[in-house]
Amino acid sequence: MEQNILKLDPKLKLVYVWQQPVRIYHWTNALAILVLCLTGYLIGAPLAIQSGAEASYSYWFGIVRFIHFVAGYVFFFNFIFRIYWGFVGNEYSRWNNYIPLKKKQWKGILEVLKIDIFQLKLGPYETVGHNALASTTYFITFIAFVFQCLTGFGMYAAMSPSWFPKLFAWFVPLVGGDLAARHIHHLLMWVFILFAMIHIYLVFYHDFIERNGVTSSMIGGWKFIEVHDDEKGEVKDER
Amino acid sequence: MANRIVIDPITRIEGHLRVEAEIKDGKIVDAWSSGTMVRGLEIILKNRDPRDAWAFVERVCGVCTTVHALASVRSVENALGIVIPPNADLIRNLMFCAQYMQDHVVHFYHLHALDWVDVVSCLKADPKATAEIAQSISNWPKSSIGYFSDIQNRVKSFVESGQLGIFANGYWGHKAYKLPPEVNLLGVAHYLEALVWQKEIVKVHTIFGGKNPHPNYLVGGVPCSINIDENNALNAERLAFVGKLLRDAKTFVEQVYIPDLVAIAGFYKSDWAAIGGGLPNYLAYGDLPTNGFNDVSGFKFPRGTVLGRNLNELHEVDGTDANQVQEFIKHSWYRYSDGDEKGHHPWEGETELNYTGPKPPYEHLNMENKYSWLKTPRWKGNPMEVGPLARLLVGYAAGNEEIRDVVHYGLKALDAPVEALFSTLGRTAARGLETKLIAGWSLEFFDQLLQNIKNGDTSTFNGEKWNPKSWPAEAKGVGLSEAPRGALAHWIKIKNEKIENYQLVVPSTWNASPRDPENQRSAYESSLIGTPIADPENPLEILRTIHSFDPCIACAVH
Amino acid sequence: MTKKRPTVYEELQEKGYSRREFITFCGLMGAWLGLEASGVTQIVKALETKPRLPVIWLHLQECTCCSESFIRSSHPIVGDIVLDKISLDYTETLMAAAGHQAEKSLHDTMKNHKGEYILMVEGSIPTKEDGIYCCIGGKSAYEVLKEAATGAKAIVAWGNCASSGCVQAAEPNPTGATPIHKLVHGKPLINVQGCPPIAEVMAGVVVHILTFGRIPALDSLNRPKAFYSRRVHDTCYRRPNYDAGLFVQTFDDENAKRGYCLYKMGCKGPNTYNSCGVIRWNNGVSFPIQSGHPCIGCSEENFWDNGPFYEHLKSFPGFGIESTADKVGLGLGVATGAAITAHAVATNIRKRKLINKGLKEIEKEKENAKE
Ligand code: HEM
Ligand code: HEM
Ligand code: NFV
Ligand code: SF4
Ligand code: SF4
Ligand code: F3S
Ligand SMILES: [Mg+2]
Repeated sequence: MEQNILKLDPKLKLVYVWQQPVRIYHWTNALAILVLCLTGYLIGAPLAIQSGAEASYSYWFGIVRFIHFVAGYVFFFNFIFRIYWGFVGNEYSRWNNYIPLKKKQWKGILEVLKIDIFQLKLGPYETVGHNALASTTYFITFIAFVFQCLTGFGMYAAMSPSWFPKLFAWFVPLVGGDLAARHIHHLLMWVFILFAMIHIYLVFYHDFIERNGVTSSMIGGWKFIEVHDDEKGEVKDER
Repeated sequence: MANRIVIDPITRIEGHLRVEAEIKDGKIVDAWSSGTMVRGLEIILKNRDPRDAWAFVERVCGVCTTVHALASVRSVENALGIVIPPNADLIRNLMFCAQYMQDHVVHFYHLHALDWVDVVSCLKADPKATAEIAQSISNWPKSSIGYFSDIQNRVKSFVESGQLGIFANGYWGHKAYKLPPEVNLLGVAHYLEALVWQKEIVKVHTIFGGKNPHPNYLVGGVPCSINIDENNALNAERLAFVGKLLRDAKTFVEQVYIPDLVAIAGFYKSDWAAIGGGLPNYLAYGDLPTNGFNDVSGFKFPRGTVLGRNLNELHEVDGTDANQVQEFIKHSWYRYSDGDEKGHHPWEGETELNYTGPKPPYEHLNMENKYSWLKTPRWKGNPMEVGPLARLLVGYAAGNEEIRDVVHYGLKALDAPVEALFSTLGRTAARGLETKLIAGWSLEFFDQLLQNIKNGDTSTFNGEKWNPKSWPAEAKGVGLSEAPRGALAHWIKIKNEKIENYQLVVPSTWNASPRDPENQRSAYESSLIGTPIADPENPLEILRTIHSFDPCIACAVH
Repeated sequence: MTKKRPTVYEELQEKGYSRREFITFCGLMGAWLGLEASGVTQIVKALETKPRLPVIWLHLQECTCCSESFIRSSHPIVGDIVLDKISLDYTETLMAAAGHQAEKSLHDTMKNHKGEYILMVEGSIPTKEDGIYCCIGGKSAYEVLKEAATGAKAIVAWGNCASSGCVQAAEPNPTGATPIHKLVHGKPLINVQGCPPIAEVMAGVVVHILTFGRIPALDSLNRPKAFYSRRVHDTCYRRPNYDAGLFVQTFDDENAKRGYCLYKMGCKGPNTYNSCGVIRWNNGVSFPIQSGHPCIGCSEENFWDNGPFYEHLKSFPGFGIESTADKVGLGLGVATGAAITAHAVATNIRKRKLINKGLKEIEKEKENAKE
């Protein structure tokens, strides 16, 4: 078993943080968002093709939109699954990790800001699951996911014959009409792009500074956690 | 004893106009005109994209719709030095002509005619006699006895229904109505005919601008493309449609509007050709370019002013001269940063609402103080009348042959001297006469457009300055135009790609404004002085003179 | 003067229209309303038997283009019929009476037809400063509206002004222009959107009320579903070009001359609910897109502040006219990239420090061990 590798360094313990469903969720989500950003951007600013062709010979823009809508469904149901898992999954994937209701979480956020971001203090900051700042950011991202789905399916209600998007139609007038919904939807794309940039950087960064295998944790599920002198290197397996 | 009467609302106009008049010995001795609604468009326009401004200002008015859009795109083009392709000028001219024909005809029949035509009296008419009159003055085919008796029956059943609708409580039976029942019946018939016709001519706007009211304009040209081999652009079918509309319009103007105007005016010229003259000064910016907007000499309507009714001298007008056009607010509900006495050239214009009038509901406004939402424009300090009469007089003074001809035609048809022009009736006649000119010109523009396309010129847009990155950091421009109601101009200042200041000085602002700091009256107020009022409870005469200007108060205030 | 009011059919007969023409008229009315044949029969019946409906048409803060649009109504018997189907007792634009006489007409209808008349409103209400920005007969527009609304059977709010406040409600809304539905409650109210609404849509709404004796089915924004349930984009004849990705790049370019889609010119058709693509304007002659101009979304709330008109999306507040969401997003992206780089450099420095510190500690430990 992998535990053996660990024994090489008595100062680390190995923890199974990300269960397989969370990992599948994560990569499905990342892929869906990539596709949605690409197709969404094209929907907002399509390439113009100078062509004498009849419209009936081509359907590329329709296809781009089709892919967007399919990816939109994937994104939505994947997200719904993650919410479900927030209630049944292991302690690290629980919903309450993400909502900063406890004082401890706020203190954690401050710590991360001081140590990681502004680098005011030396030395690593450590947690087992997400650090407090990361969880809060994810929470904000989840909220953004909700709005992206509300605006996306809300707009889609006007163009889809299906009953499902119609469930979201009520949302559009609340924000002041289709154009406003579109505007929010478009802006949120940039929120996700910025999030992804920072997120990916920070993941690598933590790996670099804390040597905790966080990057691969989203692949294998395991994370290395430093053990203090009074602890023994051990494996915490929550599968 | 002087007797103060109030007419509010003045109806059969556009907008919210209130007139108060002092009557002594059966004549008006003083009068005040007040616009009672404001929207603040000049404030709203600040910081917006200059290319969007046309759509905002077009909504200043749905009656003279398009004219503000035209003045707006011109002001931006003037500021940025954009020269539009000849076809764009022609298409704008065609829309201009269509607007004039629709607006003037609707004004004559639906807004003005009931001042002269007694609807109820037509019930007493002999349709046979009406048919004879109609046939004697025009070739218009719809003038049979049957046609007129149908109309009469229709009015009869309408009146008998007890639901008089828009005709309820009119001044019917007033002794100032002079037409015989037969001519009243003719007027009523054509009231209905014109209502059917007016919706046709506006289709010129629909074809070029996509809709009416409020067709689309574009900075740098016109939005519609020409492609005679494509069904999505202006092609032979669309152009033929325009041609038909213009020809039908010309027929209507020549066979219905002008003959009716001449016939009705004939009954009123003995008194109304001497009432309501008002100001002796006239201003026209000129319009309908035939060689681009920068060549004023090519305008169909010349530019200039006439002072003191002297038709032998024409004065030059320059919209950029800070000392020519200025707006005052001494009696208007606004505040200037440098006090209420000085005038501002529109580039330095300010719009800050400052209501000081009585709290509604009120009986009277305080005329010593501010009393209107209109500002007071002056040209070199002079109050000026603008509108169809001003256009014809300026054209006359400029020695323009076509305009001289039409004026002479009109005077001859009415058997009236030149002085008759300076009156309520003269104003109403001038509107008809210029419509006659316009109907002819529209076909000239149309033929020119066809010729250009035939020669291979299909360009309708100059996009060189479309991108704001190509603009200077600061620019200012003025878009001069002639709206149906008179001289219209928009002044724009652009800074960092946005509107820094935008000011409209509108025809009805010139005519309907309150007094200036020197207490000079504007056109409405001065034209009412001396008007006889037979019955102060039913002041039909006031409506006649005010309507002769075709008021538009949404325009005037904006 | 209080005889039995004639029905629309009787009036048409008197005007010399045949029954066949009358049925055709009803059929066309039915077609706009999307009715089945049985519905058309209902129209025929309603117009045959109902007396003219009293109507008060108020003009408040507006440009009168809604009235102008209304008189453009075409199918198949024109404006004068629309005038005769209803009894238009008060409308400042067309009524013969003025001043006191006009106010008398208004009050007569309010009194004699209490609970029966339809109140049609063109224009918004300025609510700032006690409503002094629009006064009629010395009364504020708000007072006039309240008084007229009291006895109204239903209210029709014409156009964007009455439905959403339109241009005068655009930023910074100097007069506090407010739509009718925000001020009058407890009455059936129809928002007939557009700046102006299409003439035949306006007529269609009137015919619906007249025919069925009730207001048409409305959506969540009180717009009649019959005319506002589809986006312009869904009924736009240029839609195949959109799906094919064939777009106009600038006005009057080759693509414009071919009539490609105006999406990149800022067309708001995909976000705008109106009948322009179906009914079109002025008896079906054209509509903005057909004449080469993008839709500016004139039947949507707030469309004036959703510009610039020639941009696909609303400009970003505080960043200048050309600052679209994409420009701002891209800017932030670059800034983030720079921040990440800076952070990475700082991290490396810190890590080196940590390593040095660690090395020193090790050396110290070694020294300690020697001692
Ligand atoms: C991360 C998630 C998503 C991103 C980044 C994204 C991005 C975008 C962008 C940039 C646009 C173009 C907006 C414009 O400028 O016009 C767009 C349009 C659209 N999106 Fe999304 N989107 C996402 C999720 C969704 C979802 C879940 C749906 C639900 C079906 C959806 C439905 C739509 C629709 C209907 C449109 C308008 C398409 C059209 O105009 O034909 N999107 N999206
Ligand atoms: C190379 C690409 C990526 C890598 C290596 C990566 C890695 C990770 C890791 C290691 C975590 C756990 C972080 C922690 O413990 O604090 C995580 C969480 C997360 N990542 Fe990513 N990520 C990537 C791309 C993305 C993208 C593109 C998105 C979407 C915009 C995304 C969204 C998330 C979310 C929402 C979570 C929280 C997961 C949860 O708790 O359900 N990731 N990612
Ligand atoms: N006054 C005025 Fe207009 C005109 N003609 C505009 O410029 O009417 Ni509404
Ligand atoms: S909605 Fe538009 S068209 Fe109608 S009155 Fe208002 S500004 Fe004019
Ligand atoms: S022109 Fe406008 S409404 Fe028509 S398909 Fe293109 S985007 Fe849609
Ligand atoms: S601008 Fe208005 S007229 Fe129709 S096409 Fe758009 S809704
Ligand atoms: Mg002004």
